[in-house]
Amino acid sequence: MNLNTLAWRNLWRHKRRTLITASSIAFGVLLAVTFTGAGDYFYTRMIDAGANMGMGHITLAAPDFNRAPSSKKYLQQSAQLQQQLTQLSDVKSSMARIQGQAMFASAHKSIGGMFFAVDPEQENADNNLFIKAMVEGNMLATASDKTVVLGVDLARKLKLTMGKKVVYTTTDKHGDIVSAIARVGGLFQTGSNEIDGAVALLPLHSVQKVLGYQQDEVSVIAVILHDQRHSHQLRDEMQMMNSFAHTEVLNWQQTQPDLAGMIAVDKSSNYISQLLIALLVAAGILNTMLMSVLERQREFGVMMAVGLSPQSLFLLVMLESFWLAVLGLIIGTIVTIPWYLFMSQTGIDMSAAYGDGFSFGGVLLDTVFKIRLFEESILAILIGLFTLALCAGAYPAWRAGRVPPVDSLKTI
Amino acid sequence: MNFAKLAARNVYRNSHRSLVTVAAMAFACAMMIVFSSLMEGIIAGSERNVVAMNTGDIQIHQQTYRDDPDIYKMIETSTQLSETIRQAGFFAAERLFTFGLMASDDSSSGVQLRGVDLLYESTVTEINQNLLQGDWLDNNDAHGVVIGKKLARLLDVSLGDELIFVGQTADGYMANDSFRVRGILKSIATDIDSASVFMSNGMLRELISLPEQGAHQLVIMRADRKQDLAEATEKIRTLVKQDLEVMSWRQLMPVISRFLETAQVQTLIMLLFTYIAVASVVLNAMLMSVFERIHEFGIMKAMGVSPWQIIRLVYAETLIQTVVASIVGLILGISLSWYLQQYGLDMTSLADGMTFAGIALDPVWHAELSVNSSLVPIGFLFVMAAIAVLYPAAKVALMQPLEAIHHQ
Repeated sequence: MNLNTLAWRNLWRHKRRTLITASSIAFGVLLAVTFTGAGDYFYTRMIDAGANMGMGHITLAAPDFNRAPSSKKYLQQSAQLQQQLTQLSDVKSSMARIQGQAMFASAHKSIGGMFFAVDPEQENADNNLFIKAMVEGNMLATASDKTVVLGVDLARKLKLTMGKKVVYTTTDKHGDIVSAIARVGGLFQTGSNEIDGAVALLPLHSVQKVLGYQQDEVSVIAVILHDQRHSHQLRDEMQMMNSFAHTEVLNWQQTQPDLAGMIAVDKSSNYISQLLIALLVAAGILNTMLMSVLERQREFGVMMAVGLSPQSLFLLVMLESFWLAVLGLIIGTIVTIPWYLFMSQTGIDMSAAYGDGFSFGGVLLDTVFKIRLFEESILAILIGLFTLALCAGAYPAWRAGRVPPVDSLKTI
Repeated sequence: MNFAKLAARNVYRNSHRSLVTVAAMAFACAMMIVFSSLMEGIIAGSERNVVAMNTGDIQIHQQTYRDDPDIYKMIETSTQLSETIRQAGFFAAERLFTFGLMASDDSSSGVQLRGVDLLYESTVTEINQNLLQGDWLDNNDAHGVVIGKKLARLLDVSLGDELIFVGQTADGYMANDSFRVRGILKSIATDIDSASVFMSNGMLRELISLPEQGAHQLVIMRADRKQDLAEATEKIRTLVKQDLEVMSWRQLMPVISRFLETAQVQTLIMLLFTYIAVASVVLNAMLMSVFERIHEFGIMKAMGVSPWQIIRLVYAETLIQTVVASIVGLILGISLSWYLQQYGLDMTSLADGMTFAGIALDPVWHAELSVNSSLVPIGFLFVMAAIAVLYPAAKVALMQPLEAIHHQ
C-alpha cells in the first residue's frame, strides 16, 4: 500500500484546517526569507562599506599595529607583498596605505583627526568609499602631490575651501613630532558626521617622506575580496603562508571590532526572532496533527486490525506532516517570490524615517531596506522548515502508532 | 444558561488542544514581554549614554559655536547665567573646549580637550562614575587627566603614563604642557572614546590662556525628570534673555532621537509578526473545536439559542484560554525580564564593543521592565485572539439549524 498517497489524501479530508496550517507555514517561510535576506544583504553591505573605508576585508599590518597603532610600526617591501596577493584568486584588489592620527590646522584653528595616505593609482570608487563620496574638487592626482582631500565637516570646522592651505602634524617613525603642508584639492561627504568631521586622504609618497619611510614602507595593505564571506578562511590560509610570515594578517572582524560586534549581536537577535516564530508555527503544526490523530483513533484501530504495523502508522502521520510542510513551502514560495523580487530590486526607502543615514558599528548605513538571500541561507531555511515540521509531527505520530486496536474500536 | 460554565467545560472537553493553544499563546506572550523589555532597555541605555553621560537635557552655546567651534565664541556671562538657571530649579554646569595634539612616547593623536566644572559637572552628568580604570578628575591633581578608551589604545598609554599636549593659546602662542593619565573612561560615544581628554576648567583656562570668566557650553539637566523636555527648553530660553542658542538634546542629536523613536515601531512590528503566527494557531484550534461541534450547535439553535448567544459562547471559550495564557505569559515574561533587568544579557562573548549612530552600547544588555512593556503584548494578544475567532464564530452563528444538525 502506498503510504504517501494515503497521507496526501488524509490531508485533504480537512481542507480548511490543512490550508490554514499550510498558510501559517507559508507565513513562516516569508518571514524567514525576509529576516535572513535582510541580514544577508545588510551585513554584506556593512562589511563591504567598512572594508572600503580603509582597512579592507583583510589587512596586512606590521605586528602589533592593530592593537596600538604607531608610526614606529610599519611594513617593508609593500610592492612585493602586493605582488604576492595578486596570486590569490579571492583577492579583488589591494591597496598600500598609511593610516595615522594627525592634527589638522588652518589659519583659524586646529582639529584632531585621522588620515589615510593613499596612492591614487591603486584607489578607485570601488575600493575606496571616499572617492565614491566626492562632492567637490578632485581626488589626489599623484602619490607625490601636495594636496589633501577632506571630509566636508572637517573642512567646514577648519573654515577651509578649495585651494586653501592646511598643516597636518603627526609623529614620525622615530617618535618625533613633524608637520607638513598641503592644499585642499577635494571634499567628500559620506553623510556620517563622525567620518566627515575627522577623516582626510593624503598622497602616499608625500606622507612617506614626512614620516621618514622608504617608498615601499607603509603601515597597512588593505585587501578587498570578491566575496566577504571568504575573509575568515583566507586569513587563516594567509597566516600559514611564508610570504606573509613577517606581517600580521587580520580580517575585518579584528580591524573593525565595533562593526563585528554590532553584526554579531544583530545576527543573533535576528535568529532568535526567527526561532520564536518558527516555534509558534511548529505549535500550529503540532496542534493540527494531534487533533487529526486523536479524531482518527477508530480508523487507526481498524487499520491495525487489518494488519498495518504501528511503525507504518507512525510513518503515515510523519508523512502527513511532511506533505503538510511541502504544501506550506509551495504556498510560501508562491507568496515569497514576488515579494523577494520587489525587495531585492527596488527595496523600501527608509530615508523619511532615518534621514540621510547613520552609522552602525562606525560604518555608514544606507537607508534603502533591501533583501538578498545567499544559497546557503536558502538551504538553512529548507532544513529548518522540514526539521520543524517533522519534530512537531513526531508526538502525534507516536500517539498514532500506540493505539491499541481493540480499545480504539470500542470508542465511538 | 450559564455561559461561563458552559464555555469552561467546552474548553476542558478537549484538554489536549486547549493546552497546546494556551501554551503557544503564553509562550508568545512571555517572549514578547521579554522582547519589549529588552527594547526598552536598549532605548533607556542609549538615552542614558547620550543624555546622562554627555549631552545633558539642554545645552546653551553662542549662536554659531556648534557649526564652527571657535575658542573665542564664549558665553561671557556663563557664571551668572548658570546661577540663574540653578535658582530656577535646574542643574547646570559650564564646559570649555579646545583642540590640539596629544602625544605619548610612541604616537600622537589629535584630541579635543574638555574642561569641566568639577563642582557642578557631577550634578548634570554621570561621567564621573563611568570609569574603566583609575579615578575621576580631582582639584588636587591638576595635571591628571581622564581620557577615552580608544584614545588610550591609539596612544598606547595606561594609567600614570605621561602625555604631552601641543596646541594654540587664545592669544596666538604655542600651548604646551605635560599631563598624566589619571583615569580611562568606559565606552560612551565614538567621538568621546577616540578623541577626548577631560581636565578641570581651571587647568584648561590656564593652558590656553582663556579669560577667567565665560564658557563655551552650558549643560543643563532637569531636576524633575517628569517635566516635559520641550517645555523645560522653552523655560530656559526665557531665562537666558540673550542672543544664545538653547537646544534640547533631541534637537542637538536628531538622528539618535529619531532612532530611539523608531525603536518602538520595531517592537510593534515584531509583535505583529509573532502574533500573526499565534493567531493562526488560535484560528485553527477554534475552527476545529467549532466544526466538530456543528451538530451540537445545530441542536442548540433548534432549541432556541440565538446566533448572538452562540457568538458569545465561542468568544467566551477563546477568552478563557486567552486569560489563562496571558496570566502564564505575564508571570513567565515578567520573571524572565526581571532577571534580565537585574543581571543583564552578557554579550561580551559576541562583541567587545558596539556602537550605533556613534553611541556606544553596553555589551551587557539590561532589560527595562515597564508597565508598557508588559501590558502591550497582553493587550495585543487579546486583540489578535478576538480577530482570529471572528471567522469560526460567525460561521456557526449564521448556519441554518437543520443544515447544522445534518452536517456529517
